[in-house]
Amino acid sequence: MAAWDLSVTVEELGPEATPFKVSVTSDLHIGGVVLRIVEKTQIKKDWSDHALWWEQKQQWLLQLSWTLEKYEIHADARLRLTPQHKPLRLGLPNGTTLRLQACFSHPVFQTVIGVCRLLNMRHPEELSLLRPVEEKKKKKDTEEEVVVYDLTSLRISSGPAHTLSNGMPVHFADSPQTEAVYKMLSVSLPAPETITKTPRPTSLVDKAQVHSRWLDSSRSLLQQGVQEHDRLLLRFKYYCFHDLHPKYDAVRLTQMYEQARWAILLEDVGCTEEEMMLFAALQHHIGKVSLSEPRLMKSCPAMDDLDSALQCLEVKMDAEECSAEDMLETMTVAPELHDYLNIFRPKRLTLKGYKQFWFTFNNTSISYYKSKEESLKEPIQQMNLKGCEVVPDVSVAGQKFCIRLLIPGAQGMNEVYLRCENELQYSRWMAACRLASKGKSLADSSFSNEVQNIQSFLDMQRTTPGVKAAQTDDIINTHGLVSPRYHKKYKSKQLTPRILEAYQNVAQLPLTDALLRFLQIWQALPEFGVCYFVVRFKGCRKDEVLGVTNNRLIRIDLGTGDVVKTWRYNIMKQWNVNWDIQQVAIEFNGNVNIAFSCVTATCKIVHEYIGGYIFMATRTREQTEVLNQELFYKLTGGHEAL
Amino acid sequence: MKKNNNNDIPQKPHVGVGGPPVQQHDGLCLPDPQERRTTVMDDIDAMFSDLLGEMDLLTQSLGVETLPPEPPSSSSREMNFSMGFADMNVESLNELEENDLDALMADLMADLNDTEEKLAAELGGKKEAEAPHPDLPPAQHGLSFYPVPSLSTPTSPERGPNTFSAPLADSPAPIHSQPTLPQHAKPSMEEIEAQMKADKIKLALEKLKEAKVKKLVVKVVMHDGSSKTLMVDERQTVRDVLDNLFEKTHCDCNVDWSLSETNPELQLERGFEDHENLVDPLSAWTRDSENKVIFQERPDKYEVFKNPQNFYLWKKDKKTIKDMKDRDKELLVEENFCGTSIIVPDLEGVLYLREDGKKSWKQRLFLLRASGIYYVPKGKSKTSRDLVCFVQFDNVNVYYGKEFKNKYKAPTDFCFVLKHPQIQKESQYIKYLCCDDAWTMNLWVTGIRIAKYGKSLYENYKTSMKKAAVTTAWTNRTAATAATTSTPSTPSPTTKAKASGQANGHAPQPPAEPVAKVGNAPPPPPPLLPTQILPPPPPDPVLPPPPPPLTTKRSPPATSVSRQLPTLPTSFPPSPTSMANLPPPPPSLSQDDSSESPPDFLPPPPPTLGFGPGAGSLPPPPPVSLPPPPPPDPGFPLPPPPPDPAFCPVTNRGSLPAPPPRQSYIGAGAPPPPPPPPPASAGLQSTPSVRRTGPPPPKRTTPPLAAPGGGDFMSELAKAMAKKRGNQ
Repeated sequence: MAAWDLSVTVEELGPEATPFKVSVTSDLHIGGVVLRIVEKTQIKKDWSDHALWWEQKQQWLLQLSWTLEKYEIHADARLRLTPQHKPLRLGLPNGTTLRLQACFSHPVFQTVIGVCRLLNMRHPEELSLLRPVEEKKKKKDTEEEVVVYDLTSLRISSGPAHTLSNGMPVHFADSPQTEAVYKMLSVSLPAPETITKTPRPTSLVDKAQVHSRWLDSSRSLLQQGVQEHDRLLLRFKYYCFHDLHPKYDAVRLTQMYEQARWAILLEDVGCTEEEMMLFAALQHHIGKVSLSEPRLMKSCPAMDDLDSALQCLEVKMDAEECSAEDMLETMTVAPELHDYLNIFRPKRLTLKGYKQFWFTFNNTSISYYKSKEESLKEPIQQMNLKGCEVVPDVSVAGQKFCIRLLIPGAQGMNEVYLRCENELQYSRWMAACRLASKGKSLADSSFSNEVQNIQSFLDMQRTTPGVKAAQTDDIINTHGLVSPRYHKKYKSKQLTPRILEAYQNVAQLPLTDALLRFLQIWQALPEFGVCYFVVRFKGCRKDEVLGVTNNRLIRIDLGTGDVVKTWRYNIMKQWNVNWDIQQVAIEFNGNVNIAFSCVTATCKIVHEYIGGYIFMATRTREQTEVLNQELFYKLTGGHEAL
Repeated sequence: MKKNNNNDIPQKPHVGVGGPPVQQHDGLCLPDPQERRTTVMDDIDAMFSDLLGEMDLLTQSLGVETLPPEPPSSSSREMNFSMGFADMNVESLNELEENDLDALMADLMADLNDTEEKLAAELGGKKEAEAPHPDLPPAQHGLSFYPVPSLSTPTSPERGPNTFSAPLADSPAPIHSQPTLPQHAKPSMEEIEAQMKADKIKLALEKLKEAKVKKLVVKVVMHDGSSKTLMVDERQTVRDVLDNLFEKTHCDCNVDWSLSETNPELQLERGFEDHENLVDPLSAWTRDSENKVIFQERPDKYEVFKNPQNFYLWKKDKKTIKDMKDRDKELLVEENFCGTSIIVPDLEGVLYLREDGKKSWKQRLFLLRASGIYYVPKGKSKTSRDLVCFVQFDNVNVYYGKEFKNKYKAPTDFCFVLKHPQIQKESQYIKYLCCDDAWTMNLWVTGIRIAKYGKSLYENYKTSMKKAAVTTAWTNRTAATAATTSTPSTPSPTTKAKASGQANGHAPQPPAEPVAKVGNAPPPPPPLLPTQILPPPPPDPVLPPPPPPLTTKRSPPATSVSRQLPTLPTSFPPSPTSMANLPPPPPSLSQDDSSESPPDFLPPPPPTLGFGPGAGSLPPPPPVSLPPPPPPDPGFPLPPPPPDPAFCPVTNRGSLPAPPPRQSYIGAGAPPPPPPPPPASAGLQSTPSVRRTGPPPPKRTTPPLAAPGGGDFMSELAKAMAKKRGNQ
């Protein structure tokens, strides 16, 4: 067979180097070609990651046993010997950018699996890569400011990933730098102040544009024009989060939370004002806890009720007999509050104002008496605070420490104001009221915690520079907690009390619970998980919006945003794509057929979304399940996969 | 110990008999925990006497004359009885029918048993857990039943001949006390003291806890208009109470059965959710309220799980909804209730809102979201950010309104109301909404329940289904055994039950129907049979104790077993007794702890396990067929998977105090259970139903006198009743 020259560029020699000419015959297999080139370069190094890339055809030659003939490579082909793994800048949901080695030769689906393995995120099938918005070059400086965390040195051992006791995978433990990176990945960061600068989708079309940027999962990065050191975004793409387990999913959970948070702050998913306040409170809480709490997954054993106390006692009793008595003492002698306070009941004593009484706080009730001496007699009134509303009315500057209580009674709600003399008194009574409203007594372990919380609020208020008159708890930075819309609508002074009110209900949550709660509320939003595409239905003259979710397709009116029709996947018989005319046709049970062409995205993306969701639904709850990649390609690949 | 009994007993009858004191009592009880709290006690003994002193005060203030309060003895059992029997307007106790009283006593008794058993079980568990502790002298291995007696030691030293114990001389208790005493001599005095102290603390803590438990006497109106009275303690969920009622009424136990409250003044009605605490909402009732608790079938209770498409696909056309396949329904439930987040039906529609303080009803476009009900303000769009919050669900419950057309001039009678459970009267804080039709109302009320209760609702449903399935199985079984009349083989029917319960997860009722009737005529739980034969024991403590409610299923042999036990303990080493309370036998220990849950169920029919907690609450089949053998008998042919003798005690431990120690318990005033065939007993009281009272004995039977100690207390109660009857 005739020998001919094949020209191959070797990346190691630089872009300017003249291509090697290798003399080959058509029946030589690719492996042999690589071998000859390597010999010719006379460079000693590990070439195992290198493969041939066919420039004209935009194709990897990965089958080393295939002959040149089989690949239909002739003398005019320009090949490049290049590493399969190249550094890539990856933007994570939490806004940080990593530089890591990603696979450029295998389908993006594989690349994502590799990246997720490196980052210790389970269920990589739920994520994918997104091209960033083309930045206008006008402000180059901001581009440079982005800190890039380098993880290219990380090498992950094959085999099951080992993790250290704190949940950190072994490969992150190599250096303090990588450890720091892991911490950053697994702990949510405080909201940056850049929200207002970040572009926000304002219309359905804007939201639809986002989804036009997804990379094709069944083709490699290089094939899709992604170059070394390019920046891509790693995002959760399919909104059905399988088997979320705080113990194993530290990074996954955090990144999910970050993605959810940004979706809410940027109003990518709509929510009501009340919901926004709750999200803000959770964010505030999460931010606070993740700063203070070292990433420990175990929850501290609360000595909440006698049951656990009893057990502790028993254990202790055998060890040290005498201390048991002390313990018993502390347990039986429950804390109690009593003080002279002022009370004001707007309904009955509108003119009288505050009046002093002797108050005792017991269990979940407040009783008051004329004086301390009469406290053994029947109280003037006893109020059970269970289920009541507690609102602070405080100003450190004005030395005003009031608690407003809205106590439910048979006749309706009773409004009561309690005025305390000083901070300490206030924080104790306030804490007691808050606990009581949730049905917990003073003996509850969270009491001292609550007291501290309130005190620290007050402290912060005091140290606020430039003490303004009549300020309320101006202690939380409402920026970054609510979407810019609410900053325009309300003053920070107005927002703070509302967020604090919502915060009351979540202040006791441990970090992971708070994260999970945030995700739950996010998932319960009606607009959650809807991906929009602008499409043109067959036979229609105007553009409409197709919403794709994890269980249904929604036809939405582009102008009004109203839902026109929904089809659930479980009545879907089949869907086809006519690649020539770029049309998706779907057949449902009962002879319902729809067809549409895609306007904002390619129909491959829509097809992959639908197929992807159907794939997600095939996953079972079994832990041992192995990701069925073949099925994924089958459902999402389109004509290339066949 | 007996003295203590004297102490407590008088109180209880008084509570039962004397109407007015009841309320005082309630009031008086409250302050006592706090007093206790403020007292600094440097000695446990001091604490005990302190407690007792309080009790005395309490008793005196109640004007108890029958028996003067005893000098401080250390048991704090009084706490149990002194606790408030708030009569919650349901009906004051003295107005109760006698049969109600009987039923109540049964409840009470079972309640006490439960507590004692729990205590014993806990103690047993602890002991075993601590087994390897170096502090415990190895000598204890020999003292197989030492610990439990010691549990009652606070009282036992003072135990003296007592009016009631004397006639009972032939019953187990006194016999039993003999083996106990010698045991005390063996270990060093220090150890004993230490042990006693420890036990005292435990006991005290347990009592303290118990003392805080609030109980209500509740009159439940049945669907046929009759009523039943039962006692509900604050730890009981609606589910527990329902189970209790199932046993009392022998209804078909289908998932629709529910407890509802009605408020005639506001013309409201609401079905309690199964996971709710019953006492909580009832505590909100005012003294003069005419509210009622009703036991009835409510098809709307779990409709959302039976036909989820009606709620989640309400926008679809009727035909699609109607033709929904079962598989698709399951899928819907799964999608909306099994994910990480509960999905609330996306309801929206125009409803009428009653304007505050006005008589007019105004139309508004409302939307339901997980976070609350919102409305669209005039001139705004439906986008989330424009919505105005109408109400959030944290502090309100949803009620059906009845005949609001008349009362409030509502456009239709299909109204629902949102209000804080505490509010019982007309108030501006109540929100009234009116729908066009019943269907819309149902949609909204259910939607709100989903938003408010979320996952609990689905959990409740699953529990109800299990319960219903087991019942079906049970009735099937009864029928089967009745038909064959052969010695019933326990496993096969239960297997059948399992199959039907699981395969036919959605509709266990149909097969149940015919069988249920069979079961109804002679009430399914066999327990009734033996007890009916027994002469209704008069309040005479001399009588040989009839089986307690929990053990009624067991035939007489059980009692005799208990009698011979005291002599046996040393003869068979790892008897249930020893296992129950002692650290010793290491091998079985580990097994024991790990198998904590299995003991909750009936070992004989393994399939029952599949039914979960529900299974335990049924009077389990096996005892019927089982001639209860003395547990020690190793050769006894146990049904199918014969519990390995070493395992039996383990099984036993979880729920029942082991025989010999139990006796000393009984002395302390409560739990009767005779040593049963371990498997059966374990099955009888699965943990979930611990609080649940046992099947009540038939009317007019003096409740559980099985054990002498229990007899003391109960006979007192009965005496008081007799007195009352005499007075009438």
